[in-house]
Amino acid sequence: MKLTFSIRGVGALLVAAALLFAPLILAEQNYLLRVLITGITYAIAVYGLNIILGFTGQLSLAHGGFFGIGVYTMGLLTTDYDWSFWSALLAAIVLTTVVGFLAGLLALRTREAYFAIFTMALGLIIYMVISRWEDVTHAYSGVLGVKLPEDIGPLDFSEPATYYYLLLVFLAAAAYVTYTLRVSNVGRRLLAIRTSEDLASSIGINVGLNKQLAFTASAGFAGLGGALFASAEGFIGPNSSSIDLTFELLMFLLVGGVATVMGPIVGTLLVLMLFEAFQDFQAYRFILLGPVIIALVIYAPQGLIGRLNQLTFYWKRRRAAAQKTAAGAPEQNSPADPHDEKTEVR
Amino acid sequence: MTLFIQQFFNGLSLGGVYCLAAIGLTLVFGVLRIPNLAHGALYMVGAYLTYFFLTSAGVPYILAIALAALVLAGIGIGMERVVFHPLRNAPHTHHMIAAAGAMFFLHSLVQAIWGADFRRMESPITGRVEILGTQVSWQRVTIVITAVVVLIALTWFIKKTVHGQSIEAVEQDRVGASLVGINPNRVSMLTFGLAAALVAVAAGLVAPINLIYPTMGDVIMVKVFAIIILGGLGSIPGAIVGGFTLGLAEAMATTYVSAVAGEVIAFVVLILVLAIRPTGLLTKAVQR
Amino acid sequence: MSQKSRSTLRPLIALSTVSLLALTSCGNGGGDGEGGTITIGVTGPQSGGGALYGENVEAGIRLAIDELNEQGVTIDGEEYTVEMRALDDEYQPNAAATNAQRLVEQDDASVVFVPHAGGIHAAQEINTSRSEFLIGAYSSDRQIVERDNELTFMIPPTFASYSEPFIELFQDQGAERLGLLATASEYGQQWTTMMTQDWEGAGGEVLSNNNFDYGAVSDFASAVASALSEEPDVILVGGPSQTTALVIEEARDQGYEGGFMIMDQAKFEEMELFTDPENLNNSAGPKPVAEFDDPGTDELVERFAEEITEERPLTAETSLNFQAVALVVKAMEVAGTHEDPTAIREALPEAATEVDDVFRVSGFPDVVTDEGLLISDTLEGAHRDSEGNYEYFPVEIE
Repeated sequence: MKLTFSIRGVGALLVAAALLFAPLILAEQNYLLRVLITGITYAIAVYGLNIILGFTGQLSLAHGGFFGIGVYTMGLLTTDYDWSFWSALLAAIVLTTVVGFLAGLLALRTREAYFAIFTMALGLIIYMVISRWEDVTHAYSGVLGVKLPEDIGPLDFSEPATYYYLLLVFLAAAAYVTYTLRVSNVGRRLLAIRTSEDLASSIGINVGLNKQLAFTASAGFAGLGGALFASAEGFIGPNSSSIDLTFELLMFLLVGGVATVMGPIVGTLLVLMLFEAFQDFQAYRFILLGPVIIALVIYAPQGLIGRLNQLTFYWKRRRAAAQKTAAGAPEQNSPADPHDEKTEVR
Repeated sequence: MTLFIQQFFNGLSLGGVYCLAAIGLTLVFGVLRIPNLAHGALYMVGAYLTYFFLTSAGVPYILAIALAALVLAGIGIGMERVVFHPLRNAPHTHHMIAAAGAMFFLHSLVQAIWGADFRRMESPITGRVEILGTQVSWQRVTIVITAVVVLIALTWFIKKTVHGQSIEAVEQDRVGASLVGINPNRVSMLTFGLAAALVAVAAGLVAPINLIYPTMGDVIMVKVFAIIILGGLGSIPGAIVGGFTLGLAEAMATTYVSAVAGEVIAFVVLILVLAIRPTGLLTKAVQR
Repeated sequence: MSQKSRSTLRPLIALSTVSLLALTSCGNGGGDGEGGTITIGVTGPQSGGGALYGENVEAGIRLAIDELNEQGVTIDGEEYTVEMRALDDEYQPNAAATNAQRLVEQDDASVVFVPHAGGIHAAQEINTSRSEFLIGAYSSDRQIVERDNELTFMIPPTFASYSEPFIELFQDQGAERLGLLATASEYGQQWTTMMTQDWEGAGGEVLSNNNFDYGAVSDFASAVASALSEEPDVILVGGPSQTTALVIEEARDQGYEGGFMIMDQAKFEEMELFTDPENLNNSAGPKPVAEFDDPGTDELVERFAEEITEERPLTAETSLNFQAVALVVKAMEVAGTHEDPTAIREALPEAATEVDDVFRVSGFPDVVTDEGLLISDTLEGAHRDSEGNYEYFPVEIE
């Protein structure tokens, strides 16, 4: 057990270090820094999606919409209403959380495919409202001049690197929440719901309440990501709430690995970098990327991080077995880790 | 009143198209439990195939649709084998992602072959007919008639032929069906082929009143999802009722409320229905 | 890492190879600035619903670059080859800005063409601060030059220019009731707002708004029918040419005999191919490119058919960008630099008078204003009368 954690820990540390030093390495590469900044805002939303899809097993297709609510709350409040960045950020989180809570009351009455399609419709309605409600959202004209955070002492957030570090703080918070969730009772309850709702309720878990909490929190993270995205871009338009975005977020999560701590950030940045690299194939890149997505789902459904966790788990078990047989102890299966293959591959 | 009658026929013809597109989707769901997100892309490919046979190969209109349906059925079966068969035991989230991958692929492929240009397909069916004091184009009349004919043929196929009955059997009870010797693999392929053929007919019919372009399927996809949810996933009568209802609702909302209302009504109705009845309107009790 | 279970490892290895590949290809930048290359950057839709539009814009830029290379480009006594580097942004503002920054940093582009208002706005957030580049803005929304962005020039005439002559034309014919049936995009929305104001200002009546998203509706008949039920004398339509043609056809089929005001996004020459041209009688829109009498018009029409496609005609999307590339490269020659966006921008007015005749196709700009507007004194609109003949009327860019 100890060994597993240390391997995972080293991996997480490596990613964290890479993220931490990225601005220094990319000194003159504003463009790559920009891709990272956008990527991190998406990744925060992907952490949200991870809670409801990864842990609880409910496929929400409304997350592009929740992201959009965050984007527009930040965008409209800091321009038309001249709020400060920080108060708008708070408002964006509160609003998406409330919308997520209310939407959850209705959406979570449905199950499986119905839930997915219900939330897809919800996402589409949010998009329609944003793209058509001209008086409030300016519809397709978009919103210009979204504020960056106000300076804090010597910190000037108009400097991309400074803003990047601010984003890292939020990202770390999202990852930390995911981590605590994974090792806490709440997380185990959610995983139990993912495995089987009937089973979960039979062992005394309040399925409805836990799903409601997961969905609400999940929407809040999407809103946070959206609000940070709006500020980073400066100009926003309705397609920051579109259904396409939902599918992108979903792809990020699947590539990285559902129900993992590092999956959302690794998946998001990896896919975004792949997209940038494939730009040379222009319009035809999806002839290649489409089958890649399909192959990923078929052959590596647990995602990159999920796969890595699995490998370290096997390795640990083999070593443990080897030690035990050496010591003459009877072979014995290790207790189910929440990440053991049975729950993971599901 | 003339306006109402005119919109009624507009809604009816749109409903016919929705129906044909939705039945395939609901069949696939009934048999395989897969919400196939690539259905809209299949619809788009169906339109291009019809266009190809009609314009480039010079085949008559109806035959062009039939050929397109045939080819698309092949593509549908291929998709079942390559994409969905390997995922048959995976959770539905994986199907949806894989289907999205297939959708991206088909978009790009079609754009690589035919380009991004809008294309106009001239139907040989021209002119208008006067019904109840309003002018309705023959193309729209054709759509409604063809839809009804195809629906009757489909019902006959499912109720009276061995292959059709095997589909219905699997839909009703998977385990039971395999116990009596029905090969679920064959049924899966059959269902996908049938679904693709139906959506090709829908596309071939609607192509002359709209344009053909690589993203044309996106619009219809969300609509047909709304329809099959309304009708209850897996229910063919539900898809028929839902299709015509939505076609008419869109036409009427556009006329009597606003154009935006016409665009969103599908989703609003969907949300309302699921909020009240989380399993859809006409869901059969046997399904679970 | 573990050496065992090769089969479980395989997808992982594949994935990490691809990602490594991705990172390396991201990392190495253009760098081939020496050897005399000028890169013109383009970010536009190459996939998705706007792909055709993006293709047309790129075609204009490519045709201009080929011609320029043939003629030879000399800056400060040194010979240069011009190159185009185009990236796909799927019509998304943030992708456009990212692409622009990439083009500037990795391909050393100092001018980036962006053919949609959202992308232009997003690029304007960074082009004078985080990076420096000149935006070739192809969008007829005047707002893009009203933001005091000193590194933007606006390629097409502002759409507001068409308002007055259009209204005059139809009100002279006695039209009073204006129906609204444009596409519900950014563009359609702004045209609608402007036209509503101006039409009412000129004493006319504006009927209910039946705008719908041309790209998101399977059947136009319902919206058209409800617009016609209010008996308009003239209807504002417009979106992509092809869908606009179908909307017009549907209205004619339903018995409408009044006029159409066509937003500048739709082009007569393209619409004629998608519907019986008679349906277009009694309507006003931008003048077809081939009808201009500028010195370079015929040659570009010919080259477009030969080198790009014969399936669709040359339109302003291609010709105006063609002109703009010639203008901006001339400005580099005048300024004596291809690297300093500010100097290039400042040289635009002078360059406008010096560009070779072959690049003058459809209302070449005579003046470049301080704001960045390109003003042509010879711009005209087209009126297709009830007999199907075109008449042209002057349009003053404002």
